[in-house]
Amino acid sequence: MSDNVVAPLETAFGVDHHVSRATAPENPVRLVQDGGPEMVQLLNPEGERVSHPEHDAVVDALSDEELRGFYRDLVLIRRFDAEATALQRQGELGLWASLLGQEAAQVGSGRALRPQDYAFPTYREHGVAWCRGVDPVNLLGMFRGVNHGGWDPNEKNFHLYTIIIGAQTLHATGYAMGIQRDGAVGTGDDERDAAVIAYFGDGATSQGDVSEALVFAGVNNSPVVFFCQNNQWAISEPNEKQTRAPLWHRARGFGFPGIRVDGNDVLAVYAVTKAALDAARTGQGPTFIEAYTYRMGAHTTSDDPTKYRVSAEVEVWKHRDPIERFKRWLLTTGRADAAFFDAIDDESDTLGTSVRERCLSMPEPPGTDMFDHVYATPHPVMERERAEFVAYQASFEEAQA
Amino acid sequence: MSTAATKPTTIAKGITSGLRAAMERDPKVVLMGEDIGKLGGVFRVTEGLQKDFGEDRVIDTPLAEAGILGTAIGMALRGYRPVIEIQFDGFVYPAFDHIVSQVAKLHARSLGFVKMPLVIRIPFGGGIGAVEHHSESNEAYFAHTAGLRVVAVSNPHDAHWMIQQAIETDDPVVFYEPKRRYWDKGEVGDGPSGSLGSARVLREGTDVTLLAYGPMVKTCLQAAEAAAEEGRNLEVIDLRSLSPLDEDTILASARKTGRVVVVHEASTFLGMGSEISALITERAFHHLEAPVLRVGGYNVPYPPSRIEEEFLPDLDRVLDAVDRSLAY
Amino acid sequence: MALREFKLPDPGEGLTEADLVTWHVAVGDTVKVNDIVVEVETAKSLVELPVPFAGTVAALHAAEGDTVEVGSVIITVDDGVGGSSDAAAPAPAAAAPPAGAPASDAGAPAGGSGEEIAEGLIGGTTSTGRTAVLVGYGVKQTEAKRRPRTGGGAPTVPASTNRSPQVQPLSGERTRTLAKPPVRKLAKDLGLDLAAITPTGEGGIVTRADVEAAAARATGTAASAQEISDAVPAASRSGRPTASGDREERIPVKGVRKMTAQAMVASAFTAPHVTEWVTVDVSATMDLVERLKADREFRDVKVTPLLVLAKAMCVAVRRNPGINASWDEAAQEIVLKHYVNLGIAAATPRGLLVPNIKDADAMTMRELADAIGTLTATAREGRTQPADMSGGTITITNVGVFGIDAGTPILNPGESAILAFGTVSRRPWVVTAADGSERIEPRWVTTLALSFDHRLVDGELGSRYLADVAALLADPGRALVWG
Repeated sequence: MSDNVVAPLETAFGVDHHVSRATAPENPVRLVQDGGPEMVQLLNPEGERVSHPEHDAVVDALSDEELRGFYRDLVLIRRFDAEATALQRQGELGLWASLLGQEAAQVGSGRALRPQDYAFPTYREHGVAWCRGVDPVNLLGMFRGVNHGGWDPNEKNFHLYTIIIGAQTLHATGYAMGIQRDGAVGTGDDERDAAVIAYFGDGATSQGDVSEALVFAGVNNSPVVFFCQNNQWAISEPNEKQTRAPLWHRARGFGFPGIRVDGNDVLAVYAVTKAALDAARTGQGPTFIEAYTYRMGAHTTSDDPTKYRVSAEVEVWKHRDPIERFKRWLLTTGRADAAFFDAIDDESDTLGTSVRERCLSMPEPPGTDMFDHVYATPHPVMERERAEFVAYQASFEEAQA
Repeated sequence: MSTAATKPTTIAKGITSGLRAAMERDPKVVLMGEDIGKLGGVFRVTEGLQKDFGEDRVIDTPLAEAGILGTAIGMALRGYRPVIEIQFDGFVYPAFDHIVSQVAKLHARSLGFVKMPLVIRIPFGGGIGAVEHHSESNEAYFAHTAGLRVVAVSNPHDAHWMIQQAIETDDPVVFYEPKRRYWDKGEVGDGPSGSLGSARVLREGTDVTLLAYGPMVKTCLQAAEAAAEEGRNLEVIDLRSLSPLDEDTILASARKTGRVVVVHEASTFLGMGSEISALITERAFHHLEAPVLRVGGYNVPYPPSRIEEEFLPDLDRVLDAVDRSLAY
Repeated sequence: MALREFKLPDPGEGLTEADLVTWHVAVGDTVKVNDIVVEVETAKSLVELPVPFAGTVAALHAAEGDTVEVGSVIITVDDGVGGSSDAAAPAPAAAAPPAGAPASDAGAPAGGSGEEIAEGLIGGTTSTGRTAVLVGYGVKQTEAKRRPRTGGGAPTVPASTNRSPQVQPLSGERTRTLAKPPVRKLAKDLGLDLAAITPTGEGGIVTRADVEAAAARATGTAASAQEISDAVPAASRSGRPTASGDREERIPVKGVRKMTAQAMVASAFTAPHVTEWVTVDVSATMDLVERLKADREFRDVKVTPLLVLAKAMCVAVRRNPGINASWDEAAQEIVLKHYVNLGIAAATPRGLLVPNIKDADAMTMRELADAIGTLTATAREGRTQPADMSGGTITITNVGVFGIDAGTPILNPGESAILAFGTVSRRPWVVTAADGSERIEPRWVTTLALSFDHRLVDGELGSRYLADVAALLADPGRALVWG
């Protein structure tokens, strides 16, 4: 495979239009994927509503207020993300994993969750955290290096960020197995029946853990939605390195439905995710959703994407921007006006300032923090080492800079 | 062994040129890892190699450490000599099963018919201000596993030559690279300093022996410098090989000074220092003027980066141990 | 009116310098936080830099087209807030921002030296002087300098490494004496019981000096182990101070150094020596020696008059136990030993040594013969151990081998009696016949000279002892009577 050409795949499911031609000497620009005809879309990049018989109803039922709420979410989360990126550039954070470009995938799915549902993120789901009501500043602690994740997962039903790729999919499946044993599936009670959503990326699908999660979820018929944000890149590795088949096809092999949705279309993501969550909570088992999107920024703030991808590709995806298309639709359908948009911009500035201030004023953790919470029960080694540490630190004339 | 350029280079670049030399010498040497091709690795250690040796020999793998090790085993069975890059220490665990259950055992299992000439490169250690899982020191797990060799380099010269020696040996080698020292500069001389399993006395002394490896070697050399100003003459040894240990060098020094301090970033409980302490106690007992002391990370999970410097051994912690040793 | 300085950061590309392409602001402009103020060019692309402060641009520190080093100030903004101005751009407290270049030390990354570093972000310098990595703040440089400590540099001794015994022994559990391995070995080699030595080390630890001092007390000579193993008894021609000049010193437990120094100085002997002679006809002993030589039981061992004397001395000790004792000055006690460790002065390649036979009184004649043989052979080979030479209770010095009649032997330190065994030679002797008539006959005759410590051995005791030994040599059968 040294010429990196992947031919159209004739499969049992028809011809796969997911074709890419990687860099060849005579064709330096990769053809950019378009997601294929089976990708669910309700709002195209131009901001025009596209009909989809299966999902129209859910979206049509959303009130204008709710829709304007989506816009607010998208803008504020982008602003938070930009502020965090700037803070990293200024040395206030050690690093930041930007979600730029993936706002709709996260807000659309995040807003589909019911309060009793549980979300397992990777380390980039700041938009989902937002929807769950987790204070954005809580997300900064890990990247600033003051903690490894500063919130109580059970408070907002949003697990801590998991850096080990793919591990959370198994955890999510197990959580769903717990929900089943609590009898909180398929009772018909919408306030009680719960579902789990597991977020992961395209790269993660190569990890054995993810396949194992699909196995367990499948055979247990667990109420878990596998939400893969395929942002096309795993650091420097494009999709072709991770998979031969479209990711959403995998679910079929594990015995449950898979679906590809336009990850930059907040309406489609909302509809598809809601359907999947409802299927889970009513006892129909797991669903695999592939949100087809793009990592507009770098893997993390210190990554240099220019080493492995061309800017022309980024340009193409700029035209598929999730916020632009949604704004246009709200405007042209009279659901929002200039005043509204200005108000959101103001709120965005306020959020940015607030986040910055709160980040800068985060207290420095004391060194003794490292001995706290290692165990749930008293432990002789912890007591002894903490005492040694304190005595040692106190033996210096000046506190460590 | 090829002669490297004698201008100063870094540990990272020393490994790059070592890999290049090994690949030029032996067409069976292949590199496997995530982001090692186009990107040249997240630490740029494999930079330029895919361009020169092609995608079949510098393989960008899917994101799956177990998959990398498992397929590397298969390639080795077919006669190749894979050099695997684990992107960060904390990511090796999915591959742990293949390493200890297969790589370590296949030669013995097959009565020597099957060789596992793998090199598993792991950037390790902290002090880089990172998030979780990127600052681990897990060498003890592998040193504890019979069938594996484990080494740790501390300078560009050793990095350049030991990677070549590791590739050449028919035994599997877990090759630790101190990521916080990747850009430290040094000279690379002609030829390796010693065999792959040998330690090196970097600084001769009489009062206390400091035994270290990887990132702590520089810390100990700086500690010795500071101690010299206090009129103390410390001996500093770079262990280089953790399994096997260079027992002769270690014991000779222990017998000479009678006082030993072992330094590593890994937590002290069941770290490399434990084994070294037992070795010295058993074989140099009557020469000991003080118990073997160990300076290491506290026995807690690696903390958030804002407090990592309080967790990690540093020059002051090393000299604190030296003080305590001399007080016996 | 606080002036805030913005230093050229590493915008995630690991560069050490950048070319300033376009200023987007001028002096006097108002800026908001994160406004793009400048475009710089790196090896790869143009990068826009957002300013972290709001306020009025006070100064631009580089011109378009300049090459600017990472970490140097490029723009100053007056934030209009009272308070002190920046000396440095905001930096995380955990990093120690140097003036602009990374801290100097031998291992500084290439960025600091200005040399070309690998392209791309990794390995270059950040605005806080660290070396950039993909996943965090980066690597901080260190110096070979120690942080000053309080308490005059006293090392912290955490409880776990406390040298004092932490744990009280459980009732019934034997308390161990504490000592370092080399010290234990020394005590063992010297045949000393660690538990009997008074420790002076912190926490009740027996030190090397303690052991050496104890050894000095046990032998009465200079305290160094070296001297002990090369021990030359006072009663020899070594030139050591004799009874008149020696002093035995007990140094009070007060300062290790004082003890060590005094122990090292040749300690003298306090005992007042008295020597008595007796000349005796040992023909019967010589007959016995001949008979034993032919005896099957003694076939493969050396039988000499010395052997018989050794036995005789043990038997005589039983009759005169006071002779087998030592004077404990410190305790003001006479220590009667209920065992006989019989020392035999031996000429060895190392000089004159006095190894002793442990529990000689419990041995049969044959066992004694073996012991003397072993002792002699070992001494001749120069392999006599310090333990062999300690703990003696009474000694023989066989001056007779040199043809000498008698002498005034010096006591072996720690003992109260020493017997010089003169040469056994044919001498004219007055023999009384049964009918009382006398004639002169050549007989085997020797002289025994006994020195003793007059502090605890009076003339009567010494005389009786010597007389008993002589009687046994004159008539070995008497041993049966005396049991």
